[in-house]
Amino acid sequence: MSDPDRHTVEQTASSDQLLAFMQFLRGKKIPVSPADTLDAIEAAELLGYADRTLLKHGLAATLAKSSHELATFESAFDDYFQIAIKKAGDASASDDPSALPDLSDKLLTSGGTIPPQDVNDPLEGLRGNALFDALESQDESALSLAIETAAAEVKVEEISLFTQRGQYVRKMLDALGDEALRAAAIEFEQSEPAAFEAVQALREQLRERVRDRVERAYLIHASAQTEDLLDESLSKVKLGNIDHSQMARLKRLMDRMARKLAARHGRRRRRYRRGKLHVGETIRKSVATDGIPFQPRWRKIERKRPQIMAICDVSGSVAAYAKFLLMFIYALQDVLPRTRTFAFSAALGEVSDLFDTLPVEEAIEKVNLKYGGATDYGRALNDFSELALAEVNHATTLIVLGDARNNQADPRLDLLAEMKARAKQVIWLNPESTRLWGTGDSEMLRVKRHCHVVKECNSLNQLARIIDQLLSDRR
Amino acid sequence: MSESDYPALAEISTIETAFEAAGYICTTRIATVIKLAASLEKPVLIEGPPGVGKTELAKTCAEVVNRPLVRLQCYEGLDESKALYEWKYGKQLLYTQLLKEQLGDILDGAKGLSESMDRLHQFGDVFYSESFLEPRPLLKAMGADAGSVLLIDEIDKADFEFESMLLEVLSDFQVSIPELGTITAQSKPLVFLTSNDTRDLSDALKRRCLHLHIPFPSVELEARIVASRVPDLSQSLTDQLVRFVHAIRALDLKKAPAISETIDWAKSLILLHAKDLEGNLVLDTLNVLLKYEEDIKIAEGQLPKLMATVTA
Repeated sequence: MSDPDRHTVEQTASSDQLLAFMQFLRGKKIPVSPADTLDAIEAAELLGYADRTLLKHGLAATLAKSSHELATFESAFDDYFQIAIKKAGDASASDDPSALPDLSDKLLTSGGTIPPQDVNDPLEGLRGNALFDALESQDESALSLAIETAAAEVKVEEISLFTQRGQYVRKMLDALGDEALRAAAIEFEQSEPAAFEAVQALREQLRERVRDRVERAYLIHASAQTEDLLDESLSKVKLGNIDHSQMARLKRLMDRMARKLAARHGRRRRRYRRGKLHVGETIRKSVATDGIPFQPRWRKIERKRPQIMAICDVSGSVAAYAKFLLMFIYALQDVLPRTRTFAFSAALGEVSDLFDTLPVEEAIEKVNLKYGGATDYGRALNDFSELALAEVNHATTLIVLGDARNNQADPRLDLLAEMKARAKQVIWLNPESTRLWGTGDSEMLRVKRHCHVVKECNSLNQLARIIDQLLSDRR
Repeated sequence: MSESDYPALAEISTIETAFEAAGYICTTRIATVIKLAASLEKPVLIEGPPGVGKTELAKTCAEVVNRPLVRLQCYEGLDESKALYEWKYGKQLLYTQLLKEQLGDILDGAKGLSESMDRLHQFGDVFYSESFLEPRPLLKAMGADAGSVLLIDEIDKADFEFESMLLEVLSDFQVSIPELGTITAQSKPLVFLTSNDTRDLSDALKRRCLHLHIPFPSVELEARIVASRVPDLSQSLTDQLVRFVHAIRALDLKKAPAISETIDWAKSLILLHAKDLEGNLVLDTLNVLLKYEEDIKIAEGQLPKLMATVTA
């Protein structure tokens, strides 16, 4: 092979590897469009593949589109190329890249080489078996080709779960024709121990390659799916039932949802709407056109930003949900800048300051400590009226989170009625399922009459949907 | 790939040295992105906390490539007439008044309305020609003969509509003017957009740009920056100062001090003839570094701990 040829082969191989990397990035929730891909490849070719840091900078510039994505990108890059280097070993690119349907993984699957085995006569019977020949002669390209063909045959890219890996390894080995080698091995086991060893060693080598290939497929195609699956199930689970081990994932999920909502609602930021004709401004503008009012000017109507006041029950039964509501609201601070929060169980107090000064988790701990206890809605509503009712106006949305279980005391619904009369809307979120409303000491059915909206809210999905509606409402 | 219009930006190492000579210490990451921007002819979107030198980067770049810097400061309500072009209404009006008599001559002898109209049509576009066009920054940057550096500052402050308008400018380096047609840049400008991340930019805009996130610098880098900007400050004091600033950034503050504040502080220390960073001096000058009363209070409370990191 002449030098320039070799160069292009290497380059194709490298950009194939890049393509696989983009797939990997998509799995990591970095959206990579085809155009981004082209840009990235162009950048990579400009910078060369030799200097990894340089390549990383260049790819980051074209692929990671925000500081948040940048962090994900950097860890993904390190993860991916570390694996790739390890797997690629000293294997060279195959001679005939166009023969393969899926080039992207080819480079990554070829494993290291092992020294050639001593060839014994009994093995002669196996010569002519394409797989055996390839294994025996360490024919990299033939092996890669065979493995890729088998991979395509068993559709290894459809792997979706961690536990399916063994099954796919088996399927691929069958497709490769490992059966014949196995039969030979069984045959040799009694009679020819040396031949048996040789065949088994080759089989083990094959198995290793196949395992790598499946592992790779899992990493690229399925790990993301598994993550999605976990995320999806988590967003449906009752927030009260989520244990500590899942908190990190939940926090991530929540941040992502909040970012999505913020992006969707934060954008149309224009605070103005066209109002009546602004005579003075129009005349002033018409000076440029000899007094002819070519460009009418309009008065602007300033749109008031909605204010949210969230009142959360932090008593034992509802605390977990309150925590999530608060976290969500604070994740949306960009879109909901004037949010005030109150917490109560018996007594009520404003906790906005805590959230302004402390990180959310810490603030929630403090709130629980300060206001946790047995619930008394009557007293809490009374406290709220004294504290903030005067500031509730037609732009205020009140969100109350609580189970409305008042231990048989008077819930002071008259105060809630007054709040409804003053506020733009009162939304009551109840983590209990609708079936339980009104049972036992639940005042929910009576509460319902004094609210604009009552919703069951106990999973992340429901929470996100409600806040989405709330944000859409404001215009 | 076309020949780049900016030969000074062809190699990463030369970019680094040229920028350093111009007083801007840039990391390899920054140099890489600038090289890519020049070679791929793509705009660079620079993000990062305020005061890390986003705007400065564009200015220095203009200096290095020796091209005019055209700056467009974005704000809410910025529109085409301020960013792209505007017709010189006054001049148009004045000229029509002045040319009134000529009009008589032109129309002289014309029979009927349609013939007069025909004659006028021959001159129809006179008043909508380039001589009546007032170029605003974007058009100016594109009109520059040998290329230019276009800085679109704080794009996140502009409206969403303006962002959409920019798309044509940034991807094709052309501007459509209904009366004149499409004006294409003779030589593609180097474009820098800066954003303070107050809102998410549209995907369409992001897609057209290379991304550069400039974080707060490391201790070593910041020491180099201070040394290059405030060369009169002694080496030991520079080190102390930078380490102190880094310790302050680790606190939970409303606004962490940026490089520009570090430099300001270094300059004020020179004015005060400071030899060493010591408690009282820091207390007195903390307001240079921190811009909020609450932040100053927090820092004052932590002062012994902060000072310990300096001497360590």
